[in-house]
Amino acid sequence: MVFIVILIVSFLLQLVLPWWIIVAVSFATCGIIGKTAKLSIWSPFLAILLLWTGMALFKTLPNHNLLVTRVAEMFGLHAWWSILVLTALLGALVAAISGYCGYHFRIAAIKKTNS
Amino acid sequence: MRNKLKAFICVVIPILLAYALNTKFGDLPPLLKFLNPFTGFWQNAEPLSINKYDKLELKGTEKTVNVIFDDRMIPHIFAQNDHDVYFAQGYVTARHRLWQMDFQTRYAAGRLSEVVGEKAIEVDRYQRRMGMVYGAEKSLKGMMADPKSRAMLLAYTDGINAYIHSLSKASYPLEYKLLDFKPEDWSPLKCALLLKQMSAVLAMGSDEFYMTNIMKKFGPAITADLFPDYPFKEDPIIPVGTKWDFNPLPIPKAPDAFTEMITSTVKTKQAEDGIGSNNWAISGSKTASGYPILANDPHLNLTLPSIWYQIQLHAPGLNAYGVSLPGAPGITIGFNEHIAWGVTNVAADVLDFYQIKFKDITHKQYEYNHQWKNTSVRLEKINIRGANAEVDTVFYTHQGPVVYFQKPKKLKMADNVPMGNALRWIAHEESNELMTFYYLNRGKNYKDYRKALTFYTAPAQNFVFASADNDIAITANGKFPLKWKDQGKFILDGSDPKNDWHGWIPAAQNPTVKNPARGFVSSANQSSTDQSYPYYINWSFGSYERGKRINDRLKVIEKATADSIRLMQSDSYSIFAQDILAALLSKIDPATLNATQKEAFNITSKWNKFYDAKEIGASVFELWTKRLFYDIWDDDFTIASIPMRYPSRDRTVQLILKDPSSKWFDNINTKAIETLADQVNESFKYACDSLGRRYGPIGERWAWANVKSTNVPHLAKIPGFGSKTLMIGGGKSTINALSETNGPSWRMVVELGKIPKGHGVYPGGQSGNPGSPFYDNMIDTWASGKLYDLYLMKSSDDLSITSLNHLTISKK
Repeated sequence: MVFIVILIVSFLLQLVLPWWIIVAVSFATCGIIGKTAKLSIWSPFLAILLLWTGMALFKTLPNHNLLVTRVAEMFGLHAWWSILVLTALLGALVAAISGYCGYHFRIAAIKKTNS
Repeated sequence: MRNKLKAFICVVIPILLAYALNTKFGDLPPLLKFLNPFTGFWQNAEPLSINKYDKLELKGTEKTVNVIFDDRMIPHIFAQNDHDVYFAQGYVTARHRLWQMDFQTRYAAGRLSEVVGEKAIEVDRYQRRMGMVYGAEKSLKGMMADPKSRAMLLAYTDGINAYIHSLSKASYPLEYKLLDFKPEDWSPLKCALLLKQMSAVLAMGSDEFYMTNIMKKFGPAITADLFPDYPFKEDPIIPVGTKWDFNPLPIPKAPDAFTEMITSTVKTKQAEDGIGSNNWAISGSKTASGYPILANDPHLNLTLPSIWYQIQLHAPGLNAYGVSLPGAPGITIGFNEHIAWGVTNVAADVLDFYQIKFKDITHKQYEYNHQWKNTSVRLEKINIRGANAEVDTVFYTHQGPVVYFQKPKKLKMADNVPMGNALRWIAHEESNELMTFYYLNRGKNYKDYRKALTFYTAPAQNFVFASADNDIAITANGKFPLKWKDQGKFILDGSDPKNDWHGWIPAAQNPTVKNPARGFVSSANQSSTDQSYPYYINWSFGSYERGKRINDRLKVIEKATADSIRLMQSDSYSIFAQDILAALLSKIDPATLNATQKEAFNITSKWNKFYDAKEIGASVFELWTKRLFYDIWDDDFTIASIPMRYPSRDRTVQLILKDPSSKWFDNINTKAIETLADQVNESFKYACDSLGRRYGPIGERWAWANVKSTNVPHLAKIPGFGSKTLMIGGGKSTINALSETNGPSWRMVVELGKIPKGHGVYPGGQSGNPGSPFYDNMIDTWASGKLYDLYLMKSSDDLSITSLNHLTISKK
């Protein structure tokens, strides 16, 4: 559920908002409906990994990877897909940390109201 | 409390993470802002398949405009009036080249620090202090004063802005994302800045500081001997013996102080040689078709995106094809149905430094004509990314800006600027170069060509011309200051009115020739005229070798075709080697050579003097002569505290051939007395040894193409965005004047006739986007010396060409 929500909401919001909206989306989604800490890491991680990989491929394949090959060279890398891996992993990692923080924020906030 | 802290940390971490990955640190781009696939660089990956038809509605057009993009993505604009044609030119140029246009004009305006921070501050100060913005403002005044150029400029600007306003963050050109800045609105001033930058590239060379130092160190006799006012070997642009059919203005008198300086015995960034451009036109009597052929290849520092932008402009009264400068309306080099034209640099002496005597350190007054005259002040505000803005105060005398009071640290381009001197420079004049191109683009005959040239100020160019009426012509054209002979060879005394510029050489009296008896005209940056021309233009020009080779070939050419002219453009025969190689080889003592050197000696002895890709002889000769010139001159002319220049190549060749026992061959830093033969042998061994160290045993890797390693780098030197190394021939003093990153930035051959046929190529492509297949698609054709056919379409539904895309722009 968290996975689907993050995937769809992040996709729609990134069409109009900057990339860092995935931080807010992961944080809020896991903060509201995240079931466990573990799921709050993996769901946003996989959602953004999939979304960004998909979008990047959607852009680069019709380009025959011309541009990403040049960008890889700029970063001192040889294979174009290393930039794809870097992009998707970094994005996924940021989402995962945000989701985890969102989940723990809720735990902390709920405990606060209980005490 | 603990929970509050935990909750707080949980909020802070994601925010910090987002911030860190969205911010530029040093030279690293903002990482996820750049990498994310929704707004980052992935969005600049253009699909290889292209829509056949596109429609756009824009407020700025008056009527419907059709733009056909041909199979190399070159736009052919069909508009119904002048306004729309320049509006659409602005729009499509920006679509392909926005970042390049923006970056170049920011550079010209001394505004790079805004983008890259403090590291650009010295360059920005230099641009401001040289008066680039001051000059652009004056130029703009000239352009806005004429209703035609004003309308052209405003329509072009509106077209660029229509494109800029259509952009979202995701569609910004790639380099904006990398350097993390935003496009700003275009303005007519930016067009003027771009033209000033061309002046800076082509007419900012100045030797007077070096020459003054040489005069002080060696005195007048040696200076006159080593730095003569006319070369030993020359083949001038206007053929020797051409009669001047005008009554010249009286030449102003040199002040006594100057004559004293050059005759008394009291001791009181040089332009790179061999780099320039070629153009020529041959009359119908020497061509297969009976109509003239015109050729042009301007040499510049090669960059991607390409320096030029190909375009066809079609509107009532206008149908021209050629290359434009991204950021300036109209076509700079090209052809239409009736005429063709091209340019090379004149290298006129249009930049002078004046020594100023200030009354005191406030610099408010300076001495002029035995009186104190007030300076004016211009404040230059330089915004710096990540630091406070700086306000630089520049003092202006009536001559121009006082460039420096203190030598800037670590800025090589400022080496030739003397301290406390005012700069008088042609680029500070009010001018309107746009009108020249406005009229050339619409020109029908020789008369129109001559009229167009009268509007031109700077940078002075050799305008070559050919028409379907079988006229050919060439004119060294620009606004030339009226000077006494050698005025500006040395630094001038700013307090003496005799040192001011004394008006202008009348435009009609600029060196020109029409239909000369030899059946061709040509230029390759050499001396404009023989010594009979009554006015002073400069004391030194580019070396004569390329011009000589062109003229030698054109003298014997018969039944020329576009293809034979194309082959001539990539001719790499070295006249320099022809002049000097035999003399040098005869001085080598083979007994003292080791095995590698002997092999190199044999190869070089058999070398055919062509700088072809595979020639080892070319590599040896190039390094050898470079070292030899160093051996001859460096001991005398390199002193850290006194910047000087070497005598010219021409003078050195003359010494070697005519005066082999000259005292200049001795190295004054050694006890022994070296002879020319000593230096020739030392430099030969040195060249072979350094080739051996870098490329291993003599063999394939010593080939000229490998040693030269020509490549086309990105404008901002971003790795990965330039070309690969190109294994091609050509050399600085040959027609195909290629060095590592400098060479023919556009090659064009036009066959005039009932229907003109154009051929051309540049090293790059139409698009400035490294993510486009049209970014560098023409490089291989350029490297192989071939040309594409250029389509001068008759109408937008001309079916004789293959088009990739038909864009219709209609009024909103």
